[in-house]
Amino acid sequence: MPDNFRPSLRSTARIAGHPIHPMLVPFPIACFVGVFLTDLVYWRTADMLWADFSTWLVTVGLIMACLAAIAGLVDFLSSRSIRLQPPAWPHAIGNVVVLILATLNMLVHTRDAWTSVFPWGLTLSTVVVLILLFTGWMGWSMVDRYGVGVAK
Amino acid sequence: MRIAIPTLKRTALVLACGSMLALAACDDNDSFDVASQIGPNPSLPELKQYLFPPMRLAPVVGWKAGEKPTVANGLKIEALATGLQHPRSLYVLPNGDILVVESKSPGTDPVHRPKDIVMRAVEAWVTSGGDTGASNRITLLRDSNGDGKPAAQSVFLDHLTSPFGVALVGSDLYVANTDAIMRYPYNTGDAKITSPGTQLTALPGGPIDHHWTKSLVASPDGSLLYVGVGSNSNITENGLQAEENRAAIWEVDRASGRWRIFASGLRNPNGLTWEPQSGALWAVINERDELGPDLVPDYMTSVKDGGFYGWPYSYFGQHIDPRVEPQRPDLVEKAIVPDYSLSSHVAPLGLAFYTADSLPQKYRGGAFVGEHGSWDRPQFNGYKVVFVPFSGGRPSGKAEDVVTDFLNSDQKARGRPVGLAVDKSGALLIADDVGNTVWRVTAGQ
Repeated sequence: MPDNFRPSLRSTARIAGHPIHPMLVPFPIACFVGVFLTDLVYWRTADMLWADFSTWLVTVGLIMACLAAIAGLVDFLSSRSIRLQPPAWPHAIGNVVVLILATLNMLVHTRDAWTSVFPWGLTLSTVVVLILLFTGWMGWSMVDRYGVGVAK
Repeated sequence: MRIAIPTLKRTALVLACGSMLALAACDDNDSFDVASQIGPNPSLPELKQYLFPPMRLAPVVGWKAGEKPTVANGLKIEALATGLQHPRSLYVLPNGDILVVESKSPGTDPVHRPKDIVMRAVEAWVTSGGDTGASNRITLLRDSNGDGKPAAQSVFLDHLTSPFGVALVGSDLYVANTDAIMRYPYNTGDAKITSPGTQLTALPGGPIDHHWTKSLVASPDGSLLYVGVGSNSNITENGLQAEENRAAIWEVDRASGRWRIFASGLRNPNGLTWEPQSGALWAVINERDELGPDLVPDYMTSVKDGGFYGWPYSYFGQHIDPRVEPQRPDLVEKAIVPDYSLSSHVAPLGLAFYTADSLPQKYRGGAFVGEHGSWDRPQFNGYKVVFVPFSGGRPSGKAEDVVTDFLNSDQKARGRPVGLAVDKSGALLIADDVGNTVWRVTAGQ
């Protein structure tokens, strides 16, 4: 990779040279995996405590996902070189879909009792985790393989 | 890759727009005929579940000087008392003194979910007219000459715990706090009770206490008390454990304080009273929310000993609520269909049979119902007092409006009717909890 190409792969949304996006993404990932698990437990037990965990996780996860998305979008829009990396578009589009589905899931989880989780809450939680496996892989390969956001 | 990008982008755009449309579609217009849900056989549309349940709130503006509700032909209305603190129910003592129960929510409904934060803000907004401090007491109105202008208004009993129901048996005055039935000594003409009282029976109160109003009535012979205990949730979202002994009418032995469940499956029963011809116990029930603007109709019903009326498993007989798990087909099977639907989300909280004779003939023997008004449908419903004619101990016709215009022309709440009573002169009394007024309806133009 030519030397003059490198700087444009730098993250724009950064603090003291540290890209913000990778600092924020663990929150929605942990929350959305968490809501999948607590939805599963509620589905098996019908114990409302687990549904309460779910609704907190999906709500907090969505808020953090929006923050992560903003940081990610700034990086994505401010660098044509980043956009040209092969995983960039699949990563971005996949996570837009995650945001949409998580928003729906958050709203489904505001319902009362059983139907806040079954069937649509659990379904959405599962689909979100499956998409995250893909987009997370794409995101990490942008850093690990293509050096996006990596300091020189 | 470069060719694939626009396709992917378009897919994402379609997904995004599609979900926005789906959200918007939830806010469908309601062309449903509300009148088809008034009476013994309400039409019940398919249930819906929402991402955004329809909601419409009436902010409280209160009554301006000279404003009052509109009454039906042949009636007139005046304020009997104003400046009260969230008056919710009324009781007329044998000497004609009127007890106004001023009460506010215990505020113990905890935040279990992010939704609870939103719902709490919503609730504070639509009850803001009444929450000015010194409530949770009973005020006495004394109108010795019956002219509708009380000569005295004083605090009768103070420092109560979210009280609602009152019943006098002999010289024992019972007050149903949200967490206990209390007994106080009362002698005719007393204007104040200073006794701390004794507890007859503890009632299900906190830690959640979602439906907190405990309606109370004594049996005609005075040996038993009946108390309404509302559910601890909309539809079991606080767990089934929280519903133990709730959504029921209790029968309490007045001598010993022992109690049993008289009837169950009644989500939030209020206005407990005796139908004068049949002698049956009747109540008005607030049914469940968030199944649509026209589900589930609130109702009034005679209450049978041992009867099960559906909540939470089903409504209006065998219509199953999918939000409850585990389901109980054994209970659904025996769920009693209530007697008379009042239509959806009107929030009936007051019920009074008219056995006096000073109002026009048509009202005699029928029931007045105080409808606090809706919040979870696109068009307001309730916010009025209606009359249901009775004959032979059963409702015998359509409910008709008696006292209306609690909402002003801007659809803001000047007041909201709650508890009802009939005073010694035969006038209908209405507690207006956000208008902080007791209204008195008499015959006249």
